[in-house]
Amino acid sequence: MTEPTEPTAGVSRRKFFSGSAALAGAGGMALGVAGALASGAAASAPTEPVSDVERMAARANLSYPFYGEHQGGIDTPPQDHLVFTAFDVTATSPTELQLVLAKWSAAMAEMTSGAPVGKVEPGREQAIPGDTGEATDMGPQGLTLTLGFGPSLFDERFGLAPFKPADFAQLPAMAGESLDPALTGGDLCIQACANDPQVAYHAVRNLARMARTMVKTKWTVLGFGRASAGANQTTPRNLMGFKDGTRNVKDVVDLDAHVWVGEEAGQPWMVGGSYLVARKIHMLIETWDEDTIGDQQSIFGRTKGEGAPLSGTREHDVPDFHATVAGAPAIAPDSHIALVAHENNGGTKILRRGYNFTDGLDAVGRLDAGLMFLSFQKNPIQFATLQRKLGSSDRLNEYIRHVGSGVFAVPAGLPAAGSYYGKEFFA
Amino acid sequence: MSSLPTRTLRSKTAVLLTGATVLALSLVACGSATPQGQAGAAKGGAAPVSNGAAQIAVSVEKVNGDEQCVPDFSNAPAGPVTFTISNKDASGVSEVELLSDKRILGERENVIPGLKAVSFTVTLAGGEYQLYCPGAVTESKAFTVSGGAATAAANGVSEKLMEGTDGYAKYVSGQVDSLVLAVAALQKAVDSGDVAASQKAYAQARPFFERIEPVAESFPDLDPALDLRVADVEPGTEWTGFHPLEKDLFEAKAITEKSKALAAGIVKNVGTLKTLTAELETKGSYKPEELANGASGLLEEVQSSKITGEEEAYSKLDLVDFAANIEGSQQAFEYLKPALKDIDATLSEQITTQFETVNTALAGYKDAGALGGFKAYTEELKKSDAAKLTQLIQSLQAPLAKISEKVATV
Repeated sequence: MTEPTEPTAGVSRRKFFSGSAALAGAGGMALGVAGALASGAAASAPTEPVSDVERMAARANLSYPFYGEHQGGIDTPPQDHLVFTAFDVTATSPTELQLVLAKWSAAMAEMTSGAPVGKVEPGREQAIPGDTGEATDMGPQGLTLTLGFGPSLFDERFGLAPFKPADFAQLPAMAGESLDPALTGGDLCIQACANDPQVAYHAVRNLARMARTMVKTKWTVLGFGRASAGANQTTPRNLMGFKDGTRNVKDVVDLDAHVWVGEEAGQPWMVGGSYLVARKIHMLIETWDEDTIGDQQSIFGRTKGEGAPLSGTREHDVPDFHATVAGAPAIAPDSHIALVAHENNGGTKILRRGYNFTDGLDAVGRLDAGLMFLSFQKNPIQFATLQRKLGSSDRLNEYIRHVGSGVFAVPAGLPAAGSYYGKEFFA
Repeated sequence: MSSLPTRTLRSKTAVLLTGATVLALSLVACGSATPQGQAGAAKGGAAPVSNGAAQIAVSVEKVNGDEQCVPDFSNAPAGPVTFTISNKDASGVSEVELLSDKRILGERENVIPGLKAVSFTVTLAGGEYQLYCPGAVTESKAFTVSGGAATAAANGVSEKLMEGTDGYAKYVSGQVDSLVLAVAALQKAVDSGDVAASQKAYAQARPFFERIEPVAESFPDLDPALDLRVADVEPGTEWTGFHPLEKDLFEAKAITEKSKALAAGIVKNVGTLKTLTAELETKGSYKPEELANGASGLLEEVQSSKITGEEEAYSKLDLVDFAANIEGSQQAFEYLKPALKDIDATLSEQITTQFETVNTALAGYKDAGALGGFKAYTEELKKSDAAKLTQLIQSLQAPLAKISEKVATV
C-alpha cells in the first residue's frame, strides 16, 4: 500500500480489500458513504440520500490500511477522539523489548482493521480472554495507531545507541513551561485516534495489557475533540473557542518538505518517519472566558466567529502581516498567528494534530482542560524554534501553561505483515 | 477482601467448585473447537524422526487471504514429538497449542510475524490430538499419533498435577493447624486483658489465614464470619471475626467483654475451617485449576485490599498480609510448577522470575522491630509506594493468570 491515508468503508473490511478497489480521496465519513454506495453501481447512478443508520454504519466501518510507507495517524485526516499514552520500558533485556515491539506491531495491524487481538470469549472455561472485549462489533472507526520511540529508549539499557537518530534528544527547556515530571517523557508512545473514544481506548488498553510485564504506562491524555484540520476537513475549534489549524500542513509538497524524515536522520528506519512532539497544555479557562472579545481576537490575530485573519474577511484569506489599520498593524506582531506564521519563521511549518482534553477539575477547583498539542515534523528543531518564540512573547501565555511534554521518533510505516517496528534493532 | 455479594459472583475466588458444577461448565464449553476441513493440507504419511523426536513444522501464515496454521505433517509415530512453529504473516494468530480433548499438552505463545521460530516437545501416546491455533480461520486441526496406547511418559503431566494438588492440600492443612494455635494464643492474650500482647498475637495469626485465603473464601459462610471488613457488613447483621477485634486492639486500644467474645468466635470458626480443610485433603478434592485460580486470586486480594490499605485499616499490618498473600500464591504455583514446566516452560520461568522480583522488592519493607515483621503501611507509605507496588503485582499477575487454563483438568 503506498497510500496509507486512503480510507475504506463498507460492510466487510476483509471482503472490501479482496474484492474491491480502494476508494480514492482522503475524505472522511461522507466520502466513505458515497464511495461504499457507489462501488459496484454504475458511475452515472445518482447518489441516493443515505439514512442516519447507514451513515453511522459507514462511519463505524471506516478503516485505514495499517501497512504503508508512513504510519497512520500523521497525514490521516484527524479523527474525533484521541488516547495518547507514553510508556516506560520496565523490561531489562533487548529480547523482551523485541517481543513488545513485535507483539504490538501485530496487534496494531489487527485492531486497525477492527479485529480483536485475541479471543473475546475463549472456548475453554479456564481460559483468560485474549481481548478485553469492549470494542467488539464496533468496527474499526477509522482507528490509527502511531508508535514512537523516546530518546531515553536509546540509552545503555538495550544497546540501541547505534540506532539513535542523529541529534535526537529530549526537547530543550524553554520559557513558559511548568512541566510536571509525571507528564513528561517516556520510552515509547502510542497515539491512538478513532472516531469512537472507546475504540481508541480499547486499543491502548490492550497494548498496555499484552506488555504488562515489560512496560508501564507513564502518562496518558484522553482527547475528546479534534483541534486541527486535515485536508478537506472543516477547521475545528480549540477550547478557547477559536478555529485551530486553518493554515495546517495539508498537501503532499508540504508533507515532504516539513514532515517526513529522509536520510538526514542517519537511520534507514526513520526514512519516511517523522518526529512527534506532544505537549499537554493546560488552559486557564475561567480567566480566558472573562476576557473581552477585542483582546481575545487581538491575542490570536483572528476573528472568533469566521476565523478570518484580522487583515482579511474570510477564514482562508492569507494573513497580511504588513496590513495596517489606522497606522497600527492589523495583525499584532505579538499575536499568536504572527509569531508562528511560516512567513515570519524562515518558512518553518509543522503538522499540527492536537486534541481538546479535559481532566475534570484541578486541585484548586478550576476546570482542568486544555489542548493536547501534537505535532509532526521532520526535525524537532522546527517545534523548538516556534515554541521558543511563543514561550517568550506570546500573549496567550497569560492563559496557558505547558504541563506535559514528550518528543518521539516515529518510525516509517511497515511494508507488510511479517515486519515489525524496530526490527532493525535486533538483527 | 471484597464484600460478600461480590465474592459469590466471582468465579475466580470461588475456587472449590463442586465436581458436578465443573462438569456442567465444561460441557457448555465443549462446542467451540471442532475440527473443520483442512486448508493448507499437510503431507500424507508420518513425520520424520530426528534427534529422537518426530519433527513437525507448523507455519502460521495467510493461505488465500485466510490466516491459518499449517503443519507439514498431521501424523506422527508415538513417542516424543517436536513442534517447531513460525509465523510468516498472520498477525491475528499468536499462539499454537497441542490439545488432547481440551487439555493443553504443550504450547507456544508469542508466535509473532518477524520473530524466529519457537518449539516445544511433548511425548505422545497413540491417539487423536488437536493442533489448536486461536484466531486462525480453522482453529482446530486433527493430529494423529499412531502406535502404543497410553504410556507412563504420556501421563507424566497428569501425575505431576496430582502430586501437586496433594502437596498443596497438605500445605493448606499445615497452615490451618498453625492458625488454630495462633488464634488460641490470641484468645488467651485477649482474655488476659493485655492489649500489647493481644496486638502481637493478632499480627502473628493473620499470615496463616492470608496465605490460604482463597480456600477459606470457598466456604461461603465461614469467610465473612472471620474476615469481613466494616464496609462490607450488611446493615442489621453482626460484625464478627478478625477486623472488629483489630479495631478494639489498635484503634480503641481497649479490651472489652465484646472483644473477648470476638476472640472466642474466631477460635470457634477457625476450628470449623480446620474440619473443612481436613475433609478436602482426605478426599483429594483440590483441582489443579483451583490452585492456579487461587494463586491468581491472592494477587487480586493484594491489589484490591492490601495496596489500598483497606484490609488492616486500624493495625496498618497490610504489608504483613501482602507478604502472606504472595507467599500463599507462590506456594500454590510451586506445587503446579513441575507439571507446568512440561506444558509451558517459558511461562513457568517467567512466573518464577516475577515472584523473585516481587520478593526482592518486599524484602525492602521488612522491619524486624515492627509488628508482623514489616513496616506499618501508613498513609505516607501508601502515597509514595502504592503505584510501584501495583505495577509490581500486575507484572506478576499477568503471566500467573494464564496457568489455570494450562493445568485445567476439564
